[in-house]
Amino acid sequence: MRVLVVEDYLPLQRAVAKSLREAGFGVDVTGDGEEGLWYAVANDYDVIVLDLMLLNLDGLTVLKRLRAQGRASHVLITTAKDTVADRVRGLDCGADDYLVKPFALEELMARVRALARRAYCKKNPCLKVGDLRVETATQQVWRGREAIALTPREYALLEYLAMRAGETVSRTDIWEHVYEFTSEADSNVVDVYIAYLRRKLERPRKPPLIHTLRGRGYRLGAPA
Amino acid sequence: MTGSLKSRLLLLTVAGMTLVLIVFALAMNAAVDQSLTGGFDAALATTARTLAAEVEQKDGKVKASFDEEDVDLSAFKRAKRPEYFQLWSEDGTVLARSPSLGSADLPRAAASPDAPGFEALALPDGRPGRAATLVFVPKVEDEDHRGPSPAPVQRATLVVARETADIDAKRTGFRWLLAGAAAGTILLTVLVAALVVRQGLRPLDRLAAEIAAVREERLDTAIPVGGMPREMVPIVQRLNDLLCRLEEAFRRERAFTADAAHELRTPLAGIRATLEVTLSRVRKPEEYQNALRESLEIVDHMQAIASDLLTLARLEGGQVPLRPEPVPLRQEIERLWRPLARTAEARAVRFEVRLPADLAAAADRELVALVVSNLLANAAEYADSGGRIEVSGCADDGKAALVFSNTGCRLSAEDVRHVFERFWRGDAARAAGVHCGLGLALVQRAVAILGGEVSAEVTPDGVFTVRLTLPPAAPPPPCESKHP
Repeated sequence: MRVLVVEDYLPLQRAVAKSLREAGFGVDVTGDGEEGLWYAVANDYDVIVLDLMLLNLDGLTVLKRLRAQGRASHVLITTAKDTVADRVRGLDCGADDYLVKPFALEELMARVRALARRAYCKKNPCLKVGDLRVETATQQVWRGREAIALTPREYALLEYLAMRAGETVSRTDIWEHVYEFTSEADSNVVDVYIAYLRRKLERPRKPPLIHTLRGRGYRLGAPA
Repeated sequence: MTGSLKSRLLLLTVAGMTLVLIVFALAMNAAVDQSLTGGFDAALATTARTLAAEVEQKDGKVKASFDEEDVDLSAFKRAKRPEYFQLWSEDGTVLARSPSLGSADLPRAAASPDAPGFEALALPDGRPGRAATLVFVPKVEDEDHRGPSPAPVQRATLVVARETADIDAKRTGFRWLLAGAAAGTILLTVLVAALVVRQGLRPLDRLAAEIAAVREERLDTAIPVGGMPREMVPIVQRLNDLLCRLEEAFRRERAFTADAAHELRTPLAGIRATLEVTLSRVRKPEEYQNALRESLEIVDHMQAIASDLLTLARLEGGQVPLRPEPVPLRQEIERLWRPLARTAEARAVRFEVRLPADLAAAADRELVALVVSNLLANAAEYADSGGRIEVSGCADDGKAALVFSNTGCRLSAEDVRHVFERFWRGDAARAAGVHCGLGLALVQRAVAILGGEVSAEVTPDGVFTVRLTLPPAAPPPPCESKHP
C-alpha cells in the first residue's frame, strides 16, 4: 500500500513516515502544499495523510484541487483544528477521515489501514484466499493452521495481491503500490519477491495460490 | 436603600396616601364637629331667647313669669333627660329655675350682652351637655308709654343647658364612618398600588428575562430596545454596549486560547508520535538517543511557546509592574546580541549597530530587553545567509527612535500587515519549523505598555524593517541620521 504524508512539522512528519514504513507501507513525504498536490496527482496513492496548515498551499485547497482533478485517493486529514465546523469543512471538501492532533500513532495507523482496505472495497481486516488468511491488523499470515513468517517486503506484496485477490495485477501496479521496490534498481525485483512468496506459501498437494499470467502479471487465488 | 423596588414604591404610595387621608379625616372631623355644635348652639340660643322674651322689668325689678301658653316648658319639666334653665338678676339673685333643676344651680358664666356665650358642662344629673349664657335687657313694662321710666334699666342673665348626647352620638357615628372609609381607602390603595407598581415595573421583569437569556457564548446578542419605556432605553443601551465590549474581550480570549491550544498541539503530536514509533519495537541505542534528542528539541520549542504565552498573558492582563529608569540603548542592544552572535556568524550574517552611545530611553529595563531581544532574535532567524542585520537609532522629536532591519525577508507587503498578530507566521517562518509566532506580538504589546509605537515594513528587495519609538531619557542627543 502506498501512502503520501503531507505534514510541515518535521518531527511529526519523520515519526509518522517511519511508523508507516515499518508497517510495510510505501511512503512519500513532503511539507509543502504545492509539492504535495503534485505528488498526489502524479501517483495513485492508496491513502494521503494531509495536514491543513502547509507551506505555499493550505491543505483544504490541496484537497479540493485533488478532487477536482478526479483523484479518488482516500484522504485522512490530521490537524490541530478541532472544532466541529473545522471537521465538517474538512469532510465536506472531500476528506474521508479526520484526526485531531495530538493523536495516538496507533490510531493513525488503524485509520490508514481502514482507508487502505476501503480503497479495495474490503471491509474485513482479515483477507481470505482459499485457505490463506492475511490478518492486516497484526500483519500475520496463515496457510490453514500453519503460521507463515514473512519479511516486511514479502508481506507488503502479499497484502497488495490479497487486496486484489482474483484480479490480474500487473507488474506496474505492484511497482506503484508496493513502493518499497522502487528503491531497487533492478526491475526484476518483483519477480524475485513473487518467487520468495511462492516458496513460503505454496504446499504440495494443495492447489497453487499465485498464478503467473504470461505478459499480463500475477493473480492470487482463483479468477473472480 | 436596598430591598425590592416594588415594596419600596408600594410602601411610599401607601404611606403618602395614609398621610393624605389622615389630614383629610381631621379636616372633615373638625368641619362636622363645628357644624353639629353650631346647630346645637343655635337651637340652644333660640330656646334661650324664647325664654328671655318672657322676662320683663318694671320699676327696676325683673320679673319672670313663664306662661305655659306662650312657651313650651315641657322639656324643662319631664323627669327623663330634662333640659335646664336658670335666670339671674343683675345683682346675682336667682329669679327663676327650671323645675328640672330642683335646688341645684347652673354655672353662671360671664358673657357679653351682644351675643350669647356657649360652653360645655356636666349637667346636674351628670350627663354631658352644653349651656348657652344670654345676658339681656328684659323688656320694660310701660303701660302708659309716656314719660321716661324713673327706674334704671336692669340686665338679666339666663343660662339654658341641654344634653349633647344626640350630637355626640352623631359625631361618634361620623368618626366611625370616617375611620371605616379611611381604612377601606387605604386597603384599596394597597391593592391598586400593588397592581399599578407591578404593571409599571413589568418592563424591568422583561429586561431581567432578556438579560437572563443572554448566553455567555453569544454575548453580542443585543437586548431589543423597542417597546422599552423611554426611561429604560439608556440603561438597555449601556447594557448592550457593555455586552458588546464583553463579547469582544471574550472573543479575543477564546481566539487566544484556541490559538495557543492549536500551536501547542502540533509539537505535542510530534513528541508523541516520535516516542510511540520509537517504542513500537526494539531498536538500536542510537535510535533511542536520536528519538530522545528530537523529543528534547520539541520540548524546548514548547517551553518557549509556554513562556511567551505566559509573558503575553501578563502583559495583556496589565500584571507587569513598571520601574522606569534610564536604559542606555546601545549597551543593551550589544549585550542582547551576544547570545545570538555565534549562530549569525556561522551563517555569515553581518551585524551593525549605528546608535549614539548616549541614546537612552526612560523605560522599564526588563520590557526594553524583551522588545530588543525578540527583535534581534527575529532578525537573526530570518536574515539570509551572508545577509545583514542593522540596528540604528536617534532621538526623534523628543523620543528615542530605533530601527531594526534585516535582509532576506520573504514576506509580502500584505504579509507584513499580520506580523504583529499572535501566532501568525509567514510561510518562511513555518519552513524553519521552530518559531511559534509570538515574538512580534510580544514586542507590540510591550512597546504599547512602554508608551511607544511600533511599525513594520518590507522593501521589494527583501529588507524587513521594524521601527519603534520609546520615551526618552532627558536630554535627548541630536539626531544624526534619520532612517538610515
